[in-house]
Amino acid sequence: MRHEWIRTSLVVLLVTGPAAAQGGQDASATDIEQGKAIFGGACVVCHGIDGGGAMAPPLNRPTLQSAPDDAALQMVIKEGIPARGMPRVRRFTDNELRQLAAYIRSLPRTSRTPITGNATAGAAVYDRMGCAACHIAQGQGGSFGPQLTNIGFARGPEYLRQAIVEPGAALPRSAVMGLRGYDEYVPIQVVARDGRTVRGVRVNEDAFTLQVREQSGALHSFRKADVRSIHKEPGASLMPSYRTRLSSTELDDLVAYLASLGDAQ
Amino acid sequence: MRIDRTALVATAVALAAVVATPQAQVTYTRLVRAAAEPQNWLTYGGNYKSQRYSPLAEINRQNVARLKLAWAYQTRAGLNETSPIVADGVMYLTEPPSTVTALDVRTGRPLWTYTPAIPADVITFSSPQVNRGVAILDDTVFLGTIAGHLIALDARSGGLRWDVLVEDNKGGYYLTLAPLALDGQVIVGVSGAEAGIRGFIDAYDAKTGARRWRTYTVPAPGEAGSDTWPKNDAWKTGGGSTWLTGSYDPDLNLLYWTTGNPGPDWNPDNRPGDNLYTCALLAMDPSSGAIKWHFQFTPGDMHDWDANQMVILFEAPINGRERKLLAQANRNAFYYLLDRATGEFITATPFSKQTWAERLDAKGRPIRKPGTAPSVDGTLVYPHIQGAANWFSPSYSPRTGLFYQSVREMSAYFFKGEAKFTRGAPFVGGGGRAVTGDEALGVVRALDATTGKLKWEFPLLSPGWASLMATAGDLVFGGTEEGNLFALDAETGKPLWDIQAGGAVRGIPVSYAVDGKQYVAITAGTTLFTFALP
Repeated sequence: MRHEWIRTSLVVLLVTGPAAAQGGQDASATDIEQGKAIFGGACVVCHGIDGGGAMAPPLNRPTLQSAPDDAALQMVIKEGIPARGMPRVRRFTDNELRQLAAYIRSLPRTSRTPITGNATAGAAVYDRMGCAACHIAQGQGGSFGPQLTNIGFARGPEYLRQAIVEPGAALPRSAVMGLRGYDEYVPIQVVARDGRTVRGVRVNEDAFTLQVREQSGALHSFRKADVRSIHKEPGASLMPSYRTRLSSTELDDLVAYLASLGDAQ
Repeated sequence: MRIDRTALVATAVALAAVVATPQAQVTYTRLVRAAAEPQNWLTYGGNYKSQRYSPLAEINRQNVARLKLAWAYQTRAGLNETSPIVADGVMYLTEPPSTVTALDVRTGRPLWTYTPAIPADVITFSSPQVNRGVAILDDTVFLGTIAGHLIALDARSGGLRWDVLVEDNKGGYYLTLAPLALDGQVIVGVSGAEAGIRGFIDAYDAKTGARRWRTYTVPAPGEAGSDTWPKNDAWKTGGGSTWLTGSYDPDLNLLYWTTGNPGPDWNPDNRPGDNLYTCALLAMDPSSGAIKWHFQFTPGDMHDWDANQMVILFEAPINGRERKLLAQANRNAFYYLLDRATGEFITATPFSKQTWAERLDAKGRPIRKPGTAPSVDGTLVYPHIQGAANWFSPSYSPRTGLFYQSVREMSAYFFKGEAKFTRGAPFVGGGGRAVTGDEALGVVRALDATTGKLKWEFPLLSPGWASLMATAGDLVFGGTEEGNLFALDAETGKPLWDIQAGGAVRGIPVSYAVDGKQYVAITAGTTLFTFALP
């Protein structure tokens, strides 16, 4: 039930208590403080301030999908989840790993990312704004933009908000083999030898070739040696900003709706 | 010379229906004179100078665009960072993690394969589980393993001649490098400086496997260089791993071997001082292992900038006088030129963006910029933890006088953490977070070998791990992390041929000839590709 995320989460939070069960009974306030310092250096860029989620999933949840207990959490940190872009980090000592896990387990107690909107109302906003023209959610929608099937799990609410009001500042990182770590959906304009201009998004690129998808859905494949010019617009997006098209309530509702997608695990 | 070069350039000899190559002994004399038999690729670097240069010229700037696949060989799963050896009709290719397979160079069909036992709990903290190649001497092939062994195999059958333990893997020691075969002995080094090892270089008798000498890269108290360590036990876990194949000058009888980072990598608090002989180059007497001279690139390193990059030997005039030289594009972003007889520092120039050194002094010692040490909150520094260069081979062409280097132009946040030594556990004291994506660049640069000045560059997409090989056809072969294999004009950098191989290229190109026809071979993903003209 996609709209019941907030309630379900709160119930889980109350039932399990403040994550004490997995919090590492040995963890002291010093451990958590040390863990926070390590987190600030290594994790915060993707997982957000206080683990509130950004490009990578929020960690201030009572249960973490890939890390049900401390041993699993330490293993995820050590081995990463390469398919989802989480790098493996082998540099921590066992003590540092323990401190980091203790801090992450403490997050649901100390930081909760507020979701103030109404997900049901947000679903209506999603329909009204025609988001489905470019995005797939719950199996429905167009394919030009990133699919939103699992977006509530994959990204934090603040990131989702930014993606709506300032899309170019929140381009996702590619997981496509050969472009891992690069921004996806970078707007690009290619002028071919014959003067023909193609504008779309970068799908993939290497030293010699470039693959571009137009909004029409047409895929263009170029040899770099055969084109007259290539112009990328880093930090921009072909998705329009909805900053002025949504009221603040509508924006909150839309974020709540997106945050509910894919979080039913 | 066994090949008529003119005939080779003029025509591709048709393949006879039945061909036979006598599998001769690969004697030490042949290794010394490797340049005289360009149809083979007898050592890791192609010759003792490690130039990774092929004197073959059948494939050249005019015809390289017609290059076609000859055959391919699919390896075991894992990363392929290997340089094949080709001797008398047989290719000796290593596969991850420590397998060696002999292939018929005419067809790519396996002749034998050997896989050593690797324990499931093998410790390889410092790298992926790779192998970078074998050495050959007489009728024996030498293989290092990630279990910490050196193994000698019969070149014809793969039968085991001997198997010795170099050092216990439980302490974090392991071998990924191609051994270097000299006169009657085999030289190896070890990986493991992320496990608090004490590095060394070993020589083994080629016939028996008996160890002839061991030279530690971190001196014990009282030994030369020990005054660059504090009066504590830091030297025992001091690092200085020796994980990349060295070079050799038979005339000077000097063996050149490089060393890695001091331990722990990013937290130098317990090891104030220069920490000899870490992040350095050692010139050694190969009969005794004695260090004749050394040059330290990064004293008291705290960024994990191992000096384990290939050292290329060449000769050129400096200020009008012909000199025996040695060059290295170091992980710390400087290109160094030394006199290889004396170790005298001649010049150094940055070949990639760097933000850590104010300058180098007249002896080549860096003056660090303040505020570049790893910190708890992270310190942004160029180059990245993996450096501006790394293990992947550069190339030198005597025809152009250029040094070709694949460059990783990227930065990282360097973090300082705690460092407590436990045998068999990581001992690193911090780490780094790469700045990736469109903010990191890969580029092939051609440097004037005597000055380090940029002659041309060819942009890749992301920072790569593929090696380069120049040829007498005035081509530079290489690959990209995105799966491209390519050939560039050695004089201008203009791309002349490329193909998408479908897997990241971490291979090391070699070239050889069969029945008078030139081939280029390199791995991409889990496949070895060989190319030739139609």
